Amino acid sequence: MSRSGVARTIDHDEFDPIGTLALVVLYFVVLTVMWLFTYFVEFLGHGPTVVGLLPLG
Amino acid sequence: MTRLFVDEYPGQARLVRAAFLNSFVALAIGATFGLIQAFHRTDIYRFLPSPDYYTVLTGHGVFLVISFVIFFLVGLFHWAITDSLGQRPSRAWLSWGWYGLMSLGTLIIAASILGGFMEEPPEVLGAPLSADVLFTFYAPLQANPLFYLGLIVFFAGTWLAGADWFRTWLTWKGEHPGKRIPLPAFMVLTTMIMWYLGSIGVIVSLVAFLVPWSFEVIPGVNPLLTRTLFWFFGHMVVYFWVLPAYLLWYNVLPTLSGGRLFSDPLARVVFILFVLLSTPVGIHHQYMDPGIAEGFKFVAMTNTMFLLLPSLLTAFTVVASMEHGARQRGGAGTFGWIRALPWKDPAFTGMALAGAVFAFGGFTGIVNAGMNINYLVHNTLWIPGHIHTQVGTATALSLMAGSYWLVPQLTGNRLVGRRIALFQVVTWFLGIVFMTNAMYRSGLFGVPRRTAEPQYSFEYDVGIGSMGELNAQIALGGTLLFVATVLFLGVMLLTVLNRDSEPLVDGTIPPALSGPEDSPRILDNLKLWAAIAIVLLVLAYALPLASVIQGGGLHGQDIRPYPVVLVDAVQHAGTILGVPIH
Repeated sequence: MSRSGVARTIDHDEFDPIGTLALVVLYFVVLTVMWLFTYFVEFLGHGPTVVGLLPLG
Repeated sequence: MTRLFVDEYPGQARLVRAAFLNSFVALAIGATFGLIQAFHRTDIYRFLPSPDYYTVLTGHGVFLVISFVIFFLVGLFHWAITDSLGQRPSRAWLSWGWYGLMSLGTLIIAASILGGFMEEPPEVLGAPLSADVLFTFYAPLQANPLFYLGLIVFFAGTWLAGADWFRTWLTWKGEHPGKRIPLPAFMVLTTMIMWYLGSIGVIVSLVAFLVPWSFEVIPGVNPLLTRTLFWFFGHMVVYFWVLPAYLLWYNVLPTLSGGRLFSDPLARVVFILFVLLSTPVGIHHQYMDPGIAEGFKFVAMTNTMFLLLPSLLTAFTVVASMEHGARQRGGAGTFGWIRALPWKDPAFTGMALAGAVFAFGGFTGIVNAGMNINYLVHNTLWIPGHIHTQVGTATALSLMAGSYWLVPQLTGNRLVGRRIALFQVVTWFLGIVFMTNAMYRSGLFGVPRRTAEPQYSFEYDVGIGSMGELNAQIALGGTLLFVATVLFLGVMLLTVLNRDSEPLVDGTIPPALSGPEDSPRILDNLKLWAAIAIVLLVLAYALPLASVIQGGGLHGQDIRPYPVVLVDAVQHAGTILGVPIH
């Protein structure tokens, strides 16, 4: 749990967080795929999901 | 090996340890209740009658989100203030005073909830000792007066804790004129401003309505008013739960990654946005309340969408900081740097997995926040799925992972069982993925929340899979979460007992890549942000509150308290509905 794994020092101007950008893009791609899955596979073409009545008599 | 907090501030370390002890005891009880619920609701194994489910549910909520999280928060904040300002609070009686008040309040609350398990709860203060009112304790559900009094004592303790930290900061400020507030202290102070403003609603509800009502001093209450006052507090409090995790992500996670925080100014902006926006959004919890005009709900929705901004800023800043660490550790490539992160370190892995769950759970929050789509999920199991990804993992898993880093510094003992700790955080992650995946999907198909009997006589037409599969996932996930909790508490206990050891932890937090000097000083003007937050609060709440009072009166109209000693209530309901309920 120490910082001994650090092999080099990168300062502010040298650091370009391109990997973070890639992860953010991947995040939105995954969200889009999940949305498409939920809408087209889980919902579209299905009837009501709660089936039955409370017997009140 | 650097200086240890316990060596430098032994008195403060003792207080933080005491707060963590309360937190972990509450975690043990709350997690046990969670396991009972997972099996009861899915009807896989039941050993309690269903009326007692609501006692378990109330205990699960209160012990985890009030006691576990907030005791950890005050411990963490006390450490953060002391460590970052390099200044111990000068009045030990004040610090132990707030700890004592919070502990006393918790004991009173616990007694009132646990009394509900008795077959015939004793009469205390003129009412049966029971408080099956759930964590959201608004009317017409009514608890024993002790429950409300305990909450007031607990809240008083938290307010005093904030006063203690502000006092420490003011002393530091006097001795360091012109210096910028160190980031951890800034986070503590802004979070407490948010807490002061946001908790006013629930304190007014308790003092002016619920306590007099429970003592029968006033004839009744306006349920919508107590609901609105609760939710005035109820969304702010979720940020109160999450911000200790943010404090760890911004300050500890970058250093664990081998890097430095990418931007200190961005972190300050995020916390200011929470001060401004976390409270004037509470009405988004009341989209289904017919007594509130759609226009007020629309304003709350708009505010809520703005509130996405600080979370998205956090995702960027924290991931960029981790990437900086990974590249300093030799990582390369667009995604290849992820492999260079210290995945064998349980503190790092726990926080990183918590952040990943938060990112996806956060998106489900956008679903909750939209007025139209909220109607689809509002009263369903989707909502407990959301709270378990956000508070139950983003916060809980981060706090556990943070403990692996912080407790050795508070005790001077080496962490026992690093591999078990690593296994623990991964087990929690898997448990929450199984459980919340099933909760979210069940919610989409209309499975209700807050009931011991979700099945009644209904069938649910699940698109992919089956209800049996969803229930099995909930039970499996709940079991994994319980196992992870036991492992965590075991590791903590063994670490506290591991006295003949030296910690292997580096407590140094390096300066940010872009420090506070790169931002305008106005960011540190706490009075200004508090004043703007008050204006926004008045704008968001004055008219809705006036409308609620105008519509239903201050004390309601012939509203009877709901029977909350549930000895017969559920069975009675079952008789009416013709459904046998056990």
